[in-house]
Amino acid sequence: MKLLQVLPLVLMFMGALILAERPAYAYADPGTGLLALQAAGSALVAAGWYLRRKIYTFLQRGKPVVGNQEENASIVPYEDSRIS
Amino acid sequence: MNGLLDLPHGPARYLSVDSKLEPTFRDPAGQLRLTDECALRRIYPAARKETLEFLASPLRTALEKSGDLIPSRVASSGDCALVADGELWLEHPRIDSISYPWEWTTGQWRAAAELTLRVAGQAIAAGWTLKDATPLNVLFIGSRPILVDVLSFERRDPRSTVWLAYGQFVRTFLLPLVAARYLGWPLQATLLRRDGYEPREIYDSLPRRRRFRPALFDVVTLATFFERPGTKPSQAKKLPTANDPALATHILEKRIARLGKKIREVVGPPHRSQWSDYTQLARHYQSGDTEQKQQFVKATLERVRPAHVLDIGANTGSYSRMAAEAGAEVLALDSDAAALETLWEMAAREKLPIAALVANIARPTPAAGWRNREHLSLLDRLEGRFDLVLMLAVIHHLILREQAPLALIGELAASLTRRWLLVEWVPPSDPMYQEWLRGRDDLYGKLTEEDLRQALAPAFAVADRCELGNQRVLLLFERMGEPGGAAIAAKTAQQESSTA
Repeated sequence: MKLLQVLPLVLMFMGALILAERPAYAYADPGTGLLALQAAGSALVAAGWYLRRKIYTFLQRGKPVVGNQEENASIVPYEDSRIS
Repeated sequence: MNGLLDLPHGPARYLSVDSKLEPTFRDPAGQLRLTDECALRRIYPAARKETLEFLASPLRTALEKSGDLIPSRVASSGDCALVADGELWLEHPRIDSISYPWEWTTGQWRAAAELTLRVAGQAIAAGWTLKDATPLNVLFIGSRPILVDVLSFERRDPRSTVWLAYGQFVRTFLLPLVAARYLGWPLQATLLRRDGYEPREIYDSLPRRRRFRPALFDVVTLATFFERPGTKPSQAKKLPTANDPALATHILEKRIARLGKKIREVVGPPHRSQWSDYTQLARHYQSGDTEQKQQFVKATLERVRPAHVLDIGANTGSYSRMAAEAGAEVLALDSDAAALETLWEMAAREKLPIAALVANIARPTPAAGWRNREHLSLLDRLEGRFDLVLMLAVIHHLILREQAPLALIGELAASLTRRWLLVEWVPPSDPMYQEWLRGRDDLYGKLTEEDLRQALAPAFAVADRCELGNQRVLLLFERMGEPGGAAIAAKTAQQESSTA
């Protein structure tokens, strides 16, 4: 259920990133299509990043918590967050 | 790292700037001039602070230590006459075997691309970024690529998810390799394309089914789709960012890794050519002849002890290797990219000081770029730089395929070597000579070793000779004084006698 709640947000985020593509500040021509492609790629990787974080939080839900619960929920080991 | 990278020290020097090259002019942060001793880079005031920060950074130290980045030191006015007080100038060692991407083999392209991505990845991790990523920023020292543009580094916005040089990397590294692999466009054609290929150019030329190959779909098909022709350019807006800097770094690292994977996929396995198996398949050589030739070349190398050797028509590099093992820095030249690829792989694997260059000495790479003053012609880079020039099994190519007169071949050789020239004379009776004679017996069928000696006599004297079992002859020539000195002396003597 939580995943379904997150998905529209992720898709909106992806859309916003793609639309954010504009001529950029660079001396090497960043391209038009290739810059948009970066934005789309960023959105996909970011989506994976957030989904993993949500999945991690979901899986940790039933486990006993030591220390500050809120703080722990936002901690995702960097290596674990990578998309393989 | 070898001695090429030792920076010269000493009192203030007058450095003569290469008059055939324009100082670089595109980078808003500074410009580079090539002098006879070193490369000098002037940093503009706006880029001074960031450049000094980079020079003081652990990233710069690590990259120089690994040999991935050209060493730099701040030059002072007391050090070099070009430097004005108050200005920031950097001095880099000059790399003499300058090669351009249009003279590289596919393997060299891959190595240069991987170097660029490796440096970009390290920069991202250290809070920097590469603001440009083009093969023109890479040179080769022997078989090893090195990034030579210190001004490519700039601080990155820790939340930015965009690598601004991504587009340039795709256009100038990836798409030329895609075009070479899937469309057969030679890498040498990049001479005409400073900024590489646009995705649309490749998309339009690719067969429909190829557009959906995983390696090409995003950088060719999707990028073309996203180009949205007709969109009015709007004012520059803020680039996409992530709220979490760790996420931004993660996105950038994934992008670099993905590009590396694409490069590996696109390069593919090496292909074969008529000449890439020449050494193994040569029928006109008995094993005894090869042995005799190798012994003579080896003895010559021991006798002349050259520091710099040019191997023209190097093929897969048997003799380049011999010269490198004898202690010389070798520049291996061949017009056959597949043969030279084998040579370059061997040199890279065995860490030999051999630089490989895909070029035809008879149709040398021209000067290129703005007013033909951005990139030197091949001969401008080669003239007078070598102690020994090898022309082994190449003279019949020049005579029969390039239709070059022997006298002109002699003049060319005299312009390249400072002293020694080793030529393998291939007589008209040789099977390879006969194969290309093609009915032109009257013109080329009666040439003799004596004709070669006479043609080279104005500049060279024969210092040694060895006839092989297959009737080919190895001739070691030694230059006499200044280029053409003997010819001038002969002409003067002739004029004097006619006046008398």
